Amino acid sequence: MKVPLLIIGGGLSGIAAAIRFARFAPGALILEKHSRIGGLNSYYFRNNRLYETGLHAITNFAPAGNKKAPLNRLLRQLKLSRDQFVFHQQFQSEILFQGCESLVFSNDFQQLKDEINTKFPHSADGFTQLTAFLSNFDPFQITPFNSTRIFLESLLSDSLLIDMLLCPLMYYGSSIENDMDLSQFAIMFRAIFQEGMFRPGGTIKDFLDVLASHYHSLGGSLRTGAEVRTILHTNLTVHGVTLTTGETIECDYLLSTVGLSETLALLQKPETDYHVPRLSFVESIFQLPENKRSHLPQDRTIIFYNSAPEFHYCSPADLVDYSSGVICFPFNFNGLPQQEYIEVRSTHLANSSGWKALADDREGYVEQKSVTAEKSKQVLEEIIGTFKQDIVFQDTFTPLTIERYTAKKEGAIYGSPLKIKNGNLGYTNLFLAGTDQGFLGIVGSMLSGVSMVNQHILSRL
Amino acid sequence: MTREEIKSLILEIIEDIDEEADFETLQPDKPLRDQLDLDSMDFLDIVMELRKRHQLQIPEEDYPHLASLNSCVNYLEPLLKNA
Ligand SMILES: Cc1cc2nc3c(=O)[nH]c(=O)nc-3n(C[C@H](O)[C@H](O)[C@H](O)COP(=O)(O)OP(=O)(O)OC[C@H]3O[C@@H](n4cnc5c(N)ncnc54)[C@H](O)[C@@H]3O)c2cc1C
Repeated sequence: MKVPLLIIGGGLSGIAAAIRFARFAPGALILEKHSRIGGLNSYYFRNNRLYETGLHAITNFAPAGNKKAPLNRLLRQLKLSRDQFVFHQQFQSEILFQGCESLVFSNDFQQLKDEINTKFPHSADGFTQLTAFLSNFDPFQITPFNSTRIFLESLLSDSLLIDMLLCPLMYYGSSIENDMDLSQFAIMFRAIFQEGMFRPGGTIKDFLDVLASHYHSLGGSLRTGAEVRTILHTNLTVHGVTLTTGETIECDYLLSTVGLSETLALLQKPETDYHVPRLSFVESIFQLPENKRSHLPQDRTIIFYNSAPEFHYCSPADLVDYSSGVICFPFNFNGLPQQEYIEVRSTHLANSSGWKALADDREGYVEQKSVTAEKSKQVLEEIIGTFKQDIVFQDTFTPLTIERYTAKKEGAIYGSPLKIKNGNLGYTNLFLAGTDQGFLGIVGSMLSGVSMVNQHILSRL
Repeated sequence: MTREEIKSLILEIIEDIDEEADFETLQPDKPLRDQLDLDSMDFLDIVMELRKRHQLQIPEEDYPHLASLNSCVNYLEPLLKNA
């Protein structure tokens, strides 16, 4: 069997890339190892109920008329009409540095500006300069690493404000410790503060179903339960792949969305980024009956908190660092229909090697998972009040869970700290898209798939 | 194809890319990009649609010929004369 374009990975970047190709040429094939598509943003069933694996909120909200906004450009490129989706905007979110300061923001950027003017008057001018700088800055220009911290220190006199601005942007889009590349900062600043957050109506399954049926209607093919074991190549040209079943599939072009070192491993090449630490996380879901929602914050969609004297975004010495994290209330979006159950979700930084060491110790692993859920609840309750007594179901994902279901090395959601921004791995017909090309999150990974197909494949057909 | 037919073809492709595109005030000798808010990704769509519909291979260095409606027609006329 030979296809014009083979895509490894049925996550959001792979699906978007495949749709983009299928719009103009026949014969795209996605190979997904798992039984379901979606990758990091998928779903699973427990007790006959659907749970989303990763959806807090989608960034880059834009009103329908704004043609230049990344969200609308993405839909246009995929030829998906906005009418196929219902988008619910966030209420408002908060950056809470306990005992220090709080900043509330929403999809109206003015709110954050006003908050900063009131709470950080010494940095107000600097913040205006920052937004002016960013409006003229091209984050897609490929440049060497440029420290956001050093840049922000030159503009903002309050170091607390610098940490507070970085906290949500790092949690939702940084694969490196304690700093961000200025380009990534600019992308995330726009995505979260200037454009804002929303979620699609229904569940991530509905969203994925729309994508999959659109792809099929364009004639594309998808195989789940198809794990690539090796990429076949001679020198710098790829011929195809072999699956774990032994089957060989040949191709003209290959797009890998499974990560940089993961792809190198499939090529049987040594890793290049083993010495840089990867960031992993633990995520817990706490489910409550809807009639308990009055006990929870009414107008907060997401709270990014820090309770340590200094904010550290790095791999912790312990299994989990509870001193900072993200608390998400997926029911607090505008216009959502009432559900029988609601969720509170938490994210904290985790130590992947610590979790890895528990891989062969079933009992210890299960115990640490439940310790994690308990401690997470405890820190959440200090911030949002008690809710433990109302929980009817809970689950925790560790770096091991994420590695197992998505094959992301060390369960690092944002992948390698090294990004291959042009998607070029030095092969004539193999390119990288998704997380390790450098665009993160749902909109980011989808744009990555689209732009890699545009740049490397469509223009050469 | 006649010049008129080529013009309609281009407008049809653009409408397909952006159903809200407003052709009322479109000036045929001015850049499409500014008048219709198209970006380079959208231009690639025009190229790919021409390829899909008429098997035209437009090399990247020729993309500037697609800047305005008139320049599109001038560029495509010889290529589509038998279409
Ligand atoms: C808990 C959690 C919460 C998140 N919350 C949000 C959020 O609220 N908003 C947001 O925008 N983003 C969120 N993200 C991030 C977002 O999900 C990712 O950035 C995005 O989905 C990445 O897509 P991708 O296609 O690059 O990678 P992936 O989703 O990892 O896709 C790669 C796919 O390749 C498959 N694969 C791997 N190896 C092989 C192989 N050898 N053969 C075949 N297939 C293979 C995997 O199974 C996977 O499906 C969250 C992630 C997690 C884990």
